[in-house]
Amino acid sequence: MVIDLDRCMGCRACMEACKVENNTSEQIFWMNVFRYEEGDYPDVTMKFLPRPCQHCENPPCVKVCPTQARYQQDDGIVLTDFEKCIGCRYCIVACPYGVNFFNWKDPEDNYYGLDWDDKELDSVTDGAVPPWKNPDLDKRYGPDERLVAGSGHFRGTTEKCTFCIQRVTKGLDPACVETCPVDALIFGDLDDPQSDVSQTLRKKSSFKLKEELNTNPKVRYVGQTAPQTDGREIEAIPIEARD
Amino acid sequence: MASTRRTFLKGTAASGATLAVASRFKPLEVLAAENGKAALSEDLVPTTCWIGKQDCGILARRVNGRVVKFEGHPRNPLNLGALCPKGVGQIAAVYDPNRVKTPLARTNEKGVAGEWRQISWNEALDTVAKQLREYREKDPELILWQKGRSKAKDFYDKAFVDSAGIEKLGHGAYCSDAGYRAAEYTIGCHGVLQPDMRHSRYVLAWGWNATGAGGNKFCYITWPRQLSEARERGMKVVALDPRLRATGPHADEWVPLRPATDLAFALALCNGLIQQGTIDREYLAEHTNSPWLVKEDGTFLREGGKEQVWDTAKGAIGPVGSAGKAALEGTYTVGGETVKPAFQVFKEHVAKRTPEWAAEVCGVEVDQIRRIIRDLGDNAMIGKTIEVDGVRLPYRPVGVMAYHMAQQEEGFQAVRAQLLVFMLLGAIGAVGGVRIDAKWEIDDHYQELDEIEIGDPPYDFTLKESKYFPINSGNPTIAAKTMLDPKRYGVEKIPEMAIIHMANPVVSFPNTDVIKEAYKKFKFMTVLSPWLSETADLYADVVLPAATVEKYEGPMKANDMYVDGVSLRMPPMDPLFESRGEIDIYLDLAERAGFLKGKDGYLDILNSELELTPAHALPLDRRPEVANIFDRWAKSEGIAKGLAYFEEKGVEVKGEMTPEEIYGYAADPVFGGAVHRLYGESLLRYQRQMKAKKAEKIYWQDYTPLPTWREPTMERSPGAYDLYLISFKLVENKQSRSSFTALLAELMPEQRLHINPDTAKERGIGDGDEVWVEANNAVTGGTARLKVKTMYTQAIRPDTVGMPHHFGLWVYPGAKEQGPTPNVLFQAGEGYVACTADQSFHVKVQVRKA
Repeated sequence: MVIDLDRCMGCRACMEACKVENNTSEQIFWMNVFRYEEGDYPDVTMKFLPRPCQHCENPPCVKVCPTQARYQQDDGIVLTDFEKCIGCRYCIVACPYGVNFFNWKDPEDNYYGLDWDDKELDSVTDGAVPPWKNPDLDKRYGPDERLVAGSGHFRGTTEKCTFCIQRVTKGLDPACVETCPVDALIFGDLDDPQSDVSQTLRKKSSFKLKEELNTNPKVRYVGQTAPQTDGREIEAIPIEARD
Repeated sequence: MASTRRTFLKGTAASGATLAVASRFKPLEVLAAENGKAALSEDLVPTTCWIGKQDCGILARRVNGRVVKFEGHPRNPLNLGALCPKGVGQIAAVYDPNRVKTPLARTNEKGVAGEWRQISWNEALDTVAKQLREYREKDPELILWQKGRSKAKDFYDKAFVDSAGIEKLGHGAYCSDAGYRAAEYTIGCHGVLQPDMRHSRYVLAWGWNATGAGGNKFCYITWPRQLSEARERGMKVVALDPRLRATGPHADEWVPLRPATDLAFALALCNGLIQQGTIDREYLAEHTNSPWLVKEDGTFLREGGKEQVWDTAKGAIGPVGSAGKAALEGTYTVGGETVKPAFQVFKEHVAKRTPEWAAEVCGVEVDQIRRIIRDLGDNAMIGKTIEVDGVRLPYRPVGVMAYHMAQQEEGFQAVRAQLLVFMLLGAIGAVGGVRIDAKWEIDDHYQELDEIEIGDPPYDFTLKESKYFPINSGNPTIAAKTMLDPKRYGVEKIPEMAIIHMANPVVSFPNTDVIKEAYKKFKFMTVLSPWLSETADLYADVVLPAATVEKYEGPMKANDMYVDGVSLRMPPMDPLFESRGEIDIYLDLAERAGFLKGKDGYLDILNSELELTPAHALPLDRRPEVANIFDRWAKSEGIAKGLAYFEEKGVEVKGEMTPEEIYGYAADPVFGGAVHRLYGESLLRYQRQMKAKKAEKIYWQDYTPLPTWREPTMERSPGAYDLYLISFKLVENKQSRSSFTALLAELMPEQRLHINPDTAKERGIGDGDEVWVEANNAVTGGTARLKVKTMYTQAIRPDTVGMPHHFGLWVYPGAKEQGPTPNVLFQAGEGYVACTADQSFHVKVQVRKA
C-alpha cells in the first residue's frame, strides 16, 4: 500500500469504512488516522498520517506468536488465525506500530451500547450484531482455509488490519482504499513494476515508518516527511488503555 | 429469536478459548436459517447519501435485503466511488434502535421534557390535518412550515407550502445567504464564490474549511478531490482564516486573519491592485457599471432615465453603451454638477485602505498582504486568452473560495468586497477565475434586489420588505424575536401552528434562549423527524417518524461543476419501524386537510415544480404512489425507462459541461446580459429610505453603495471579554443530522474549545481542562455562558478560540454527554444579525478555568 500524504485530508473516512466492512467493535480501529501539529503559532503546520497494519516483511508480531496464529501469507499479507490465537498479547508488545487490538469484551456486547436486541430490528436483521454484519467475514481464506477475516472478533483474541482479505481475494481494493475521497491510499503489488503503487513510488520520494527497525513495512508513505519528534497529536481517537 | 441468540452466546462465552470457533459464534447463514431463510442472497442497489448536502451516489450492499454497507457509487460525478466518514457511518443511524418508531402524541404540558403515547398513523395524520384545516380556514398565514436543509430539489416542500398558502422559514440565514445575496446583487448569479478548479493557478482559500467541510455546493468530497488534483498541477493556495486546520497542509501560506475583518482585508487588496495597475480595464468598462457617472449625492447621472458615461473621444457625456471609449477615471462637470465614473469613486473610497492599514486592522503581517497583491496581479495574466473546447476566452487563473466567510456581521458587504477584488482582476467568469454557480445563469434576484420597495408596517413576522432588513434572508431567530415582541417591529400577526421538518431550532440556531422563549408561543406543533429532537421534546404535540435513507427523494444534481448528471434517492430497504418518507407524509396531510387535489392543489404544484410534461403529469384527482411521481418525472425528462433506469443505474451522467455553460464570458449573451454592479446605487437608495422611515443606524449603516469598513459591533464589548469566539464544522459531522450515528460519535466524541496553548496557559488552563466560556452582547449587555473542555492547538490565533458547530443535544442517549453547542453563546439580535438578516458567528468572550 502507498499512502500519499500530500493528498490526505485527515477525514478518517478510511477508518469508518474499515469499521463497517470489518465489523470491528467499539474502540477497535484497524486503521487509524493521526492528526498532529508541528511548530508553534504562526509557524505551525498541520499533518495527517493514516496508519494501517504495516504488513512488515520482517513482522515482529509473527516472530513472537507462540501458536503461529499470527502468520504471513506468501503474498506478504500478515494475518491472524482466530482459531489459533490464545490471546497472550505478545504481538501487541512486539509490534512497534501499535496496530493490534485485544478483545477484552465479547464483541456482541461491544457495539456502542445500543439495544440491538430490538424486536423490530431483529425482524430485518435476523438478529445479526452489528446489524451491518458482513457475511464475508465468516468465510475461510488462503490455501489452508483459515478463519482470518475477523468474523466474531472473539473475546480473548487479538486482531488487526487484514488488508481486507475478504475483498482482495475478490479482486477488490481494501475498504479504506476504496472509500478515500482524495485517492490518498493506493493498493497494489509492490513486486509488479507496472502497478499503481510501483509507479507512484518511482514518481515521488517515499519513507517507511520506523525504518531503522528493519521491519521493512509494505506500507510506504509518499509526499511530506516522516513525523517529527516534536509533533503534537490532536483529536486523538479515544481508545481505552488496552493493557 | 433474539433471546435464543443471546442465551446461546452468553452460555458459550464461558467455554474455554480452545473450543472450536464455530461453537462460539453464529455465522450469518445460521442466523438466516433460524429465521427460515435457506441461503444468503446478495445484491447492490443504488441510492444516495442521506447525511450531507451533496447527496453523493451510493451503492448499498445488501444481504437478504438487509443493507450491510454503503459504498460510493463509482459513476456518480460527485464522488466517483468514494464516501466520507459520514456517508459510511450513517449505517449505524439507519439501524439505530433509538429512532422514533411510531407516531407520538404528547401527554404532558409543553416546555418541559416530553412524555408520549404511541399512536397510529391514522390518528396522527388526522390530528395534524384537523389543525391544518382549521388554521387554513382562519388564516393560512398563521401556519409556519420550517425546515433545516432541503435534501434534493425542494419540489415537494414548495408544493406543500404553496398549495397550503402558509409561511415558511429555512436555514440559509445561518449558512451563506449573505454571500448568495451579494453575488446575486453584484454579478447576477446564485451562489457564493468558487475557483475554476481545473484552470486556476492561484487561489485564496478565504474561510474555506477544505478539510472539514466543502462549501456552498459540496459538503466534502468533490472539492477536496479537485483541490488535490489542482495542487498536483501546481496551483498555489493561500489560506485566510483565524484557524489553520481548515486547510492544513493543503495551503502554501496561512494568513491568520482576525475574525470579522475580511472586509478590511479585501479593501486593501483592491487598493493594492489599483496602485499596482493590475486591473482589467476592458472588463470594467464593458461589463460593469464602473464607467457610469455618479453625482455628488451618490446617485447615477441620468438623462431621459438613462445612465450616462463620459465619452473620452467626444469629451462629453453619452448614454451607457453608446460611447466608443468610456472614462473609468477623472472628475467632470456636467451642467454645473461634478460627476465621476463609479470606478473613480471606488478608487477614492479605497485610497486610504492601504496594506499597512489592513495589517493593523486584520492583525497580520503587512508583507503577507503585499505579497498576495503581487501574486494576484502576476497570476491574473490580464489581457491573456486561452482556448477551451474550441472557444477562445479571457484567461485569468486567479480564484477564491469564499462561502462561510459570509457568516459575519458584515457578510454581505465583505463578499461584495471580495467580488470587487476579482472584478478588478477581470477574473469573474473567466477561465481559471471565479465561478459562482455550476451554470452561468442569471437569477431573478439580480433584478429584484435592485428594485426593493421598502414598505410600512404592519410587517410580515420575518420582516421581509421592512425598514429593518430590506434584503432579507428569512432568519428564524429574527422571526423568533418578532414573535416575542411583535409591536417593537411593527408586526401584527405571528404564527400559531408550526410544522417543523428536519430542523431543530432550539439547538441549531442562536441565540438558543430566544428561540426557546418564542417557540413556547406555538399553540400546535408537529415535528417530522427520524429522532426525537429537542424542539419536539419541548414543544411538539405530535411527532411523525420520518425515514432516513430508506425512502424516495430527488431529483438530485450529480454535477461536480464540470460533468453534469442527475440522481435519485431510492429506498435500499423498506422504511424501518413505522417510519415513512416525507413525501408520503405530505401527500397524506394534504389529502386529509383537503388541498391535495384539483387546480392549485398539492398535486398541481408538484406537476409544475417538477416540470412534468402533459403526457406525464400527475392526474389531479387521486393520490399517487411516491415511486410513481419519480417515474413520471424521469419519463418527462426523456428517460424512457423511467424510474427503472435509476433503480438499475442510480445516476444519469449527462456528460461534460460546455464552456458556454461554465464561463460567463462564453455565455450568450456574455455574463447572461448582466451588468456587474461595482457600484450599488440601490443600496444607497435603501439606506435613505430606511433613514426616512426612522430605522435606527444599526439597521442602515451597512447599506452603502461601496463596501465600507467599520469596526464590528462586538468590539464594543467590555475589555474583560478579551477573546474572539468563532465556529467551524468538523468533517465527522453535518449540522446535527449526523448526531445519531454511534460510529461518528466514536470518531468525534465530544465538544472541545480550540484554544492556543499560550492563551490557555496565561489563564492557568490545561489541555482538556473544563472552562467557562462567557459571551457578551455589546448591544444589550446581556451575557451567556457554557462549560466545555479545551483542546490545545497552535493552529489558531492566540486572540481567538473556536468551537465546532455541532453537539448540544440532550434527548438522544448517545449525544447528551457530548457537550454544548456554541449557539448558546452566539448572539441573535441587532449588531450580530447582519444588514441582510444573516447570522454572524463571532462574539467576544472570556474564558476561565471552571
